[in-house]
Amino acid sequence: MKAAILPLLLLAQTVSDPASRVGSGRIQGGWEYVWACYAIAWGAIILYTFSLWLRRPDRE
Amino acid sequence: MRKWLRPAVGVLGFAMLVVGAWFGLVKAPPDREMGDVYRIIYVHVPCFWMAFLAVTLNFACSALYLIKGSWKLDALAESSAEVGVLFGATGLTLGSIWARPTWGVWWTWDPRLTTAAIMLVSYAGYLALRRFVEDPERRAVWSAVVAIIAFADVPIIWYSVQWWKSQHQIQSSPKTVDPQMVFALRWNALAMLALLIFFIWSRYRIALRDRQQEVALPDALPPARTTPVQASGALK
Amino acid sequence: MRSTAVAQVGRKRPIVPRLFTETVLILGKDLILEWRTRTRLNALIFFSFATLLMFSFALGPDTKLLKENAGGYFWLAILFSSVLALGESFRIERENASLDGLRLVPIDAKAIFLGKALGNALLLVLLGILLLPVMVALYGVTVAMGIGRLFAVLALGSMAISWPGTVYSAIASNARARDVLLPLLLFPLVLPALLAAVKATGLVLHGDPMLQLGSWLGLLIAFNLIYWALGLALFPQVIED
Repeated sequence: MKAAILPLLLLAQTVSDPASRVGSGRIQGGWEYVWACYAIAWGAIILYTFSLWLRRPDRE
Repeated sequence: MRKWLRPAVGVLGFAMLVVGAWFGLVKAPPDREMGDVYRIIYVHVPCFWMAFLAVTLNFACSALYLIKGSWKLDALAESSAEVGVLFGATGLTLGSIWARPTWGVWWTWDPRLTTAAIMLVSYAGYLALRRFVEDPERRAVWSAVVAIIAFADVPIIWYSVQWWKSQHQIQSSPKTVDPQMVFALRWNALAMLALLIFFIWSRYRIALRDRQQEVALPDALPPARTTPVQASGALK
Repeated sequence: MRSTAVAQVGRKRPIVPRLFTETVLILGKDLILEWRTRTRLNALIFFSFATLLMFSFALGPDTKLLKENAGGYFWLAILFSSVLALGESFRIERENASLDGLRLVPIDAKAIFLGKALGNALLLVLLGILLLPVMVALYGVTVAMGIGRLFAVLALGSMAISWPGTVYSAIASNARARDVLLPLLLFPLVLPALLAAVKATGLVLHGDPMLQLGSWLGLLIAFNLIYWALGLALFPQVIED
């Protein structure tokens, strides 16, 4: 069912032609979710690094 | 000599993550069905892989602690649990946000999400236990016991949620066939792995320092700085 | 305390293994204590009744809904009561330092685990039996597949809560915020057992046309075996000093 040739051709075309690399899926857009996720992931990592730095054993 | 290694791993992880974000957001093509929303996969999946690694490490250290009883093992167990909860909570949040545009809901009783949520509560309980026990030796033994029991439960939870959920539809995950997608995913996973190592290692040092302050035996743990270690001062 | 039962047999090697004897002793001690201070037991019974009642009010008068989910409410009432029961079972030991006394006798730590866990399980089964008529009355259910199967589910579910619950109770009773720590640790752990027990109870109450009862019972049995074994192995470490 998923092995249809047509989507693969579309994909190949998308990869080879950068200009056409625009939301070719059935769900259009949704970039705000992507940004939210990357922001949360980065935020968590940065905050935790900061928390580790605050608790570091080398401070006197 | 090795003092630079830990920060280097951290820097490497951050750098790789930046590059990985570019791979995931720009270089990789959009998905056949999900368009661009699927790009969350590049942060969501590695988070869970790292959480799983951390929790497995926690189990190994806990089991070994009951056999060997070294403070290092206890410290490592504590650090891996904390980092595991961090990655797990983040991964779960990301998964929930991803579910919104793709499945239309903030939450669904998908076996993986449900199991992850239960495990998160389990290990949060582990961390709470550690905070609520004053005596370091008992804390180490009891948290090791709890960790073993919690880890043993994971396959049972997974299995039973699958069973429970099989009465309803099962949502599928995106089929990442495209090699560029696979590469971006692997790169991001490696980046997160570097960060995992950096986090656990740093947290481990903090835990050892705490143990030292609590325990303060005559043959105490060597201090974080490089002062000479006494002959009998080696770690048990 | 330890040698009387064994000595009465009059041989060098007892017919009944010592672990069994000690377990029975611990169980007996706890049951006698329970019976002497029945107020705790009464409070527990009324607490579980009240919980069942609460569900009726919280979830509205739609009798069809209540009837369908009766198994769920039943097991939640037992779970909440178990937290109280488990918490109590080690509080008495801790308050009188009797756990130290037990370990000094010397009684095998495994026997303490088995005795206490079985005692807790027995208490939960008793609660379940008392809750049954209340459930039938409040939610209008009938036991389609027979009391025997229902009792089996009740026994398996109660033990499933009791094995890890006893280990966690021993830990939590010595920690700060012990009343919060026990449910926090226990609930995520017994979730699969709770799920299986609720599903199985639902099937027993409403009938099982697709023969799913076996698989849920299987899950319950597996859970019991795993946590009985883990409890046996780990409990001695927990109370060791």
